[in-house]
Amino acid sequence: MRSWGRITLALVLIFLIGPFAIILAAGLSDGETLAFPPQGISLRWVLAVFELESFRASFALSLVLATASTMAALVLGTPVAYALDRYRPPGAIAISALLTSPLVVPGIIVGLALLRHFVIPLGVGVTTALFLAHTALLIPYAARVVSASLANLRVDIEEAAILLGASRPGAFFRVVLPNIRSGVLAAFILGFITSFNQVPVSLFLSGPGVSTLPIDMLSYMEFTYDPSIAALSAMLALMSVAIVLVAERLLGLSRYV
Amino acid sequence: MTDRSRAALLIAPAALFIVAGFLLPVGVLLMGGFRDGAGAWSLARYVEFFATPLHVETLWRTLRLGALVTIASAIIGYAAALAIVDSSPSSRGRYIGLFILPMMISPVARTYAWVVLLGRTGLVNVLVLKLGLSDEPLRILFTETAVFLGLVQLFLPLMVLSLVSALENLPPDVTAAARLLGASWLDVFLKVILPLTREGLAVGGVLVFTGAITAYITPAVLGGSKVLMLETLLFQRVSVANDVVTASVIAMLLIVMSYAANALLRRVASVRKA
Repeated sequence: MRSWGRITLALVLIFLIGPFAIILAAGLSDGETLAFPPQGISLRWVLAVFELESFRASFALSLVLATASTMAALVLGTPVAYALDRYRPPGAIAISALLTSPLVVPGIIVGLALLRHFVIPLGVGVTTALFLAHTALLIPYAARVVSASLANLRVDIEEAAILLGASRPGAFFRVVLPNIRSGVLAAFILGFITSFNQVPVSLFLSGPGVSTLPIDMLSYMEFTYDPSIAALSAMLALMSVAIVLVAERLLGLSRYV
Repeated sequence: MTDRSRAALLIAPAALFIVAGFLLPVGVLLMGGFRDGAGAWSLARYVEFFATPLHVETLWRTLRLGALVTIASAIIGYAAALAIVDSSPSSRGRYIGLFILPMMISPVARTYAWVVLLGRTGLVNVLVLKLGLSDEPLRILFTETAVFLGLVQLFLPLMVLSLVSALENLPPDVTAAARLLGASWLDVFLKVILPLTREGLAVGGVLVFTGAITAYITPAVLGGSKVLMLETLLFQRVSVANDVVTASVIAMLLIVMSYAANALLRRVASVRKA
């Protein structure tokens, strides 16, 4: 039984993870066009990626956007998680439904709606609209991960702090927050990766010279068939794997997923 | 300050943000689908949508691929989840990690791997030509098969993870007892494991199905304009024809389909309302 299980798992994991080995190899190819097996091995296309100005610009935008919108989602989402966990207000179910609604609506529609109602009529910048859309999408993630870590925290240490004279906000910042910091950090990492890899929400929200990295990659792929996208994909995949492995070691990220 | 007003104060900023920055714009956009050219309420846009063969074909393809991807994920997912739960506790964590890992990797990179595999000069075609199975490269890219493969790879981890947590709650002696009492392996699965883990199956099924019908990157890259799904049709209608109204009709259909799948699968699994 166990050996059958091992074979099944090996096959499934080959299907799931095998393709990465393929892009890794294709990205290290020396050939002019995308092919497998690769023609020769070189870092040519890896270096080519760094030469492309548009990728550098969109990488920078994705980085700033992911950081800013995850921070904003945590600042907005953490108090909600705290309020729902500690005060159990009436209508908690309706509040959760409202706050998770960005997960139900197709992302592409969120982007289109913001384009039509903020960017075009109000002259709001595309980057601001991207920030709004990504933050709305990340609030449910932030609230969920933070509430998971709040649920594991005993209420009495906070009550003890208040009995000993701490104000409520004081108790939160000096007792609660330090105790859930690994949960908050996990939420940050998950939010950052979600925003960084996000496509549908950003699809309509790009202007001249303003594009996130995945959107830029998609439009580049439409017209070019060289191995640079494979090289870039492989680098991004390795970056995600590195972040996840480090986070798993430090925080046990999988407890929050 | 009462607890109630404290709670309201803490929730208000996020609620306001979601309402103003998300619900309102999306709501206005969706309402646009329910008005005619003169601005009066009407279902004319929906009638028009269903009167266009390309749209109906796309809707049907989206539902079909969504269903096929869900079924395939459930079958592969049970095989993988049973094997994970059956393995030693130390390797169990490692296997779960291996299923979480791909979810963290850019879907663009994940989808692009299939272009490298299935393209004219990709691994599959190299093998096909070498083995003499065909004289010319097969066209796999830009077919429904390619989209199907890409979607299964994308969403399988969600199914596996939700089945693993369902199977972990299953008392191990239940299956052992059924085996001892003479049930065949298939009987144990169909009569014991499946009914007792249907809640996990429903949760995984909803995640996979709604993910598959609302996916954009996979049909766009692996299907191109030949294999349109609702999301790619939506994008095309807006970017090519600036047809926002059809886009809002498609969006409404996707939302309704997601809710319907949720309700249906939960009913099938007869999950008690939490």
